Amino acid sequence: MMNDTNIPEQLIARYLNGDCSMEDEELLFRWVKAKAENEKRFLHIKDVWDASWQTSHRDTEQLLKFYQRQAVQKRSRTWPTWLPGAAAAAVLFIGFLLGSLLQPELGNSQAQVESYYVPQGSKSELVLADGTKVKLNADSRLEISADFSAKNRVVTLAGEGYFEVQSDASHPFTVQTDKFDVLVTGTKFNVSSYAEDQRISTTLSEGKIKLTTIKKQVVELNPGEKVSFDQQTMQAKLTKTDVNSDLAWVNGEFIFKDIPFPDLVKRLERWYDVKLKYQSKELEAITYSGKFKNQETIWQVLDALKLTSPIGYKKTNFREFELIYKPM
Amino acid sequence: MMSDFNTIFRRYHQPLVLYAHKFVANEDVSLDLVQDVFALIWEKQKLGLDEEHLKAYLFRSTRNACLNYLKHQKVIQKHKQLTSLVNMEIRHFESGEKSLIEKESLAKIHQAIHSLSAIHREVIELSRFEGLKNKEIAERLNIPVRTVETRLFRALTSLKEELSEKLLHILLHICQLKK
Repeated sequence: MMNDTNIPEQLIARYLNGDCSMEDEELLFRWVKAKAENEKRFLHIKDVWDASWQTSHRDTEQLLKFYQRQAVQKRSRTWPTWLPGAAAAAVLFIGFLLGSLLQPELGNSQAQVESYYVPQGSKSELVLADGTKVKLNADSRLEISADFSAKNRVVTLAGEGYFEVQSDASHPFTVQTDKFDVLVTGTKFNVSSYAEDQRISTTLSEGKIKLTTIKKQVVELNPGEKVSFDQQTMQAKLTKTDVNSDLAWVNGEFIFKDIPFPDLVKRLERWYDVKLKYQSKELEAITYSGKFKNQETIWQVLDALKLTSPIGYKKTNFREFELIYKPM
Repeated sequence: MMSDFNTIFRRYHQPLVLYAHKFVANEDVSLDLVQDVFALIWEKQKLGLDEEHLKAYLFRSTRNACLNYLKHQKVIQKHKQLTSLVNMEIRHFESGEKSLIEKESLAKIHQAIHSLSAIHREVIELSRFEGLKNKEIAERLNIPVRTVETRLFRALTSLKEELSEKLLHILLHICQLKK
């Protein structure tokens, strides 16, 4: 049917862009191997074919930005041990690889405010003038007024942050959020207060903290306790909690225990800087428990979800996926 | 240093993804492999190399990454010939042969596509830009699959000629000068 010199035009086209059966491939392989000339011919055509491909994601700039953030994230995954005695500088940053993505922005109000924003897909940490260490999670903003000092310790947080506050009983440290203020002397605690989350919370790992909400509710926390609020009603719920799972993000891990599906989606979106869409009502009813290490890519996480829960996915666009309900 | 990295990334990211795609035939895998290559040149501080060497290094690293990936994939490859054809391809480029992707700018390649005859440009655009398979093109254009296959092959052949013509012109020019 086919001799050694006739070019199998259709066969090659089928190999490149069609349903090429195993017999077809076998045939093609034999023709290619029959003569050096054939091999050359085939490779040239294949090369032109490859060179003319238009990738669907041509936006190099977007990718560059994404990789820079990933590089920052990668670097901050292996967080160095806390820097000793870094109180001299007002604020000290660590964990940057590709340029400073986290730059102070000057506030507009009369009192100058330095604002630090960590974009989606990354994390960062800073040391404040009083020696307090703050780790900021993805998509979080910390504001420090210019007159912040060892004697006037007030910061404002939107998002999530883990604080290790330098002990000073006579000068309490205050973290202000939209819905509550946390007053501390020397402690380790986590504040999660994303505007778009259903629930906001504070978890105490060491020491003692006093929390006052905008509705003037006062809650005192002991180590191992967590207080969470429904953002709408500000109804408080005080629970004993597994501190490690609430603080897992600090070590680049995710530990979820019965997290509602919508909250899981938001966390993953922030953490991996992706968009996750879904439509099915069944998904919303799911709660998920599981553990991810942040070394994993969004693909690996989605694959893990696929294997262990009735959640499937398909890629719809650049950094965008659709989640599908798939009963197991 | 920083701006060097960005410049290099802007210049070579797309060609390298295309180059990787040549061997692994999967867009996401290609993106991942190329990302690793860029991470590597950053870590190893290869940015100081002069452009020609850096370019060669980037293409070689990408090829090696693909080869490595394919080795690990081998177990789950369904088609044996497929891997032998790909291996043959990689060996071909290891011997120093350069791909069009490395030799020409992507802009030039697209310019060449643009100058094809309407009928040839059509199949190239449908297959390479829109991602349609031969069968889908046949349905879209309402012609037999065999016709699509023939057209596609001939379109690629004239594209190849289009791209090598420039080189030929240069050669002819040199010959004439010698006379």
